[in-house]
Amino acid sequence: MDFSNSCSSFSSSSVDSTKPSPSESSVNLSLSLTFPSTSPQREARQDWPPIKSRLRDRLRGRRLLCRGDDTSLFVKVYMEGVPIGRKLDLCAFSGYESLLENLSHMFDTSIICGKRDRKHHVLTYEDKDGDWMMVGDIPWDMFLENVRRLKITRPERY
Amino acid sequence: MNYFPDEVIEHVFDFIASHRDRNSISLVCKSWHKIERFSRKQVFIGNCYAINPERLIGRFPCLKSLTLKGKPHFADFNLVPYEWGGFVLPWIEALARSRVGLEELRLKRMVVTDESLELLSRSFANFKSLVLVSCEGFTTDGLASIAANCRHLRELDLQENEIDDHRGQWLNCFPDSCTTLTSLNFACLKGETNVAALERLVARSPNLKSLKLNRAVPLEALARLMSCAPQLLDLGVGSYENEPDPESFTKLMAAIKKCTSLRSLSGFLEVAPLCLPAFYPICQNLISLNLSYAAEIQGNHLIKLIQLCKRLQRLWILDSIGDKGLVVVADTCKELQELRVFPSDIHGEEDNNAAVTEVGLVAISAGCPKLHSILYFCKQMTNAALITVARNCPNFIRFRLCILEPHKPDHITSQSLDEGFGAIVQACKGLRRLSVSGLLNDQVFLYIGMYAEQLEMLSIAFAGDTDKGMLYVLNGCKKLRKLEIRDSPFGNAALLADVHKYETMRSLWMSSCEVTLGGCKRLAQNSPRLNVEIINENENNRMERNEEDEREKVDKLYLYRTVVGTRKDAPPYVRIL
Repeated sequence: MDFSNSCSSFSSSSVDSTKPSPSESSVNLSLSLTFPSTSPQREARQDWPPIKSRLRDRLRGRRLLCRGDDTSLFVKVYMEGVPIGRKLDLCAFSGYESLLENLSHMFDTSIICGKRDRKHHVLTYEDKDGDWMMVGDIPWDMFLENVRRLKITRPERY
Repeated sequence: MNYFPDEVIEHVFDFIASHRDRNSISLVCKSWHKIERFSRKQVFIGNCYAINPERLIGRFPCLKSLTLKGKPHFADFNLVPYEWGGFVLPWIEALARSRVGLEELRLKRMVVTDESLELLSRSFANFKSLVLVSCEGFTTDGLASIAANCRHLRELDLQENEIDDHRGQWLNCFPDSCTTLTSLNFACLKGETNVAALERLVARSPNLKSLKLNRAVPLEALARLMSCAPQLLDLGVGSYENEPDPESFTKLMAAIKKCTSLRSLSGFLEVAPLCLPAFYPICQNLISLNLSYAAEIQGNHLIKLIQLCKRLQRLWILDSIGDKGLVVVADTCKELQELRVFPSDIHGEEDNNAAVTEVGLVAISAGCPKLHSILYFCKQMTNAALITVARNCPNFIRFRLCILEPHKPDHITSQSLDEGFGAIVQACKGLRRLSVSGLLNDQVFLYIGMYAEQLEMLSIAFAGDTDKGMLYVLNGCKKLRKLEIRDSPFGNAALLADVHKYETMRSLWMSSCEVTLGGCKRLAQNSPRLNVEIINENENNRMERNEEDEREKVDKLYLYRTVVGTRKDAPPYVRIL
């Protein structure tokens, strides 16, 4: 992994979104402007910044509403057109980036949130009111409070 | 040569505790070597592979206390695979076989198994003290053996270890007759704790001075524990998520007030901010405060607490305290000697105005005249700030600055930070440990080589331009013992320039640099007293190809001096040349 390249993209707002490749577990992010974008590589790094594992785990868990090892928030995830769904523990993720990365891996395709696009699958969720919303507009903690289930929509829907 | 009988010389030697001094004494003459050998009680081994247990015991048969370090420092940051090595079992087996009267064992970054702990607990009748720091490989079952079998146990100190918590009853395994505990630290255990057993244990340990709890000990229990042990000097509290009800809070506060000896406070994992005021009454006595796990507490609550800690000498905190908070520290903590500021937002998910910058660092340097050790994580820095810090604090012994974004320049001038760090090494003549970061060229290493005469440990990440950088350091720093480098463009020319230098050092680590397999092989060829290890977890791919490309870059290189040759316990992906 060439870290020095990804570092210059820390402050850029989007990663190239025109080349989805299902065979890689890459995530194409095209995030809305409501929260800062980060490269997925930054989050995945276990060896930078140089802090010990215990502190790293503390900080990762920090943004979650769920505290403690025993809480979990399992929600159903459906890919449109696929009758059998999956279940996912949202408490295992610290933010949208890791959620997307994981989902992309799970469904072997690139999934984005927040922007309509004819080429990509878009992640949506059903909230407490029963409405279907675009994932990514609200802060992660608030999302955890509101989400009931997830749906990955097919590109041509939009 | 001896004008006094051996016993007298031995008595004189008893006053010399420092390992280095004792090592020096033993070189004076054969007679002193012999006397020193048999009177040595404490031995420190900085690299467990530099020597083997048999030779240790052969030379120091009367040893009572052994300190061993295993994995290299960068193992703390997941750069060294788990099975790399550092197994303590062979050491314990050898000590047991030779009937050494071991009383104290201190391990850092070693692999400890339940089997080792069981053997330890059964082999040394007078065993008193076990300190494990950043170790892994054992479970609470191992702790149960220690508790059950070590009749004279005084100290069980577990710091930052990876322990598989079987949620068993290890605390129950301390026999009722065990009343000698002075220190108990199990803060890193993740599972439930038998609070009743803990309370009984604390109640029958009148000499208990240090108690560090894990997150599972609830608030009411903490109040009862503190009531049982008002003599505590050092307390690590667990985790209190919920706002306490008024009655619990009052009880806690009353218990805390009685702990007038309390000097050191830590823990605070997941603390509801309203619990903090319970500690206000004893803040004026505190000399050490570790809030580095209190990730949920906002800056203003931290500030209120710290404002009362006028005697503080050591402070570990998260950057959520902000520059504003550091100004308060600078105004309040005039006795401060050591400061560590850790990052609270490593995923860049927050638009964080509250994090610390060069402003906080300068304030601390101006306000705390006794400051000698600092570890500072920040998002930005300037040369001007570093130059000011150097002027304010020429007494630094340890200076570690970590700018979170690699290669980041001075955020005002966009220049590299060579001049800033140069000022630090030039002013701080006693500097022993240095970590550099940000955008850095070879120039900073020229400065380090020129000025850092007392430097023993240097950590480099994402820095330098050419091999010259590393060469400046190797040629200049005469007292260098540990050099660790990652993601920097140093290659074979630097590595091979002075192979003998490495025998004067404990170890060299280089990962994601430009050294090649060929270079490492050449290094190993001429150095029988160095172990040159190549760690490559993708080794499997290479084996299939059946040919070695010497130009291939080495992922991780770890070399260290040793008198016992190649070790036999390395996993397949570690190749020792």
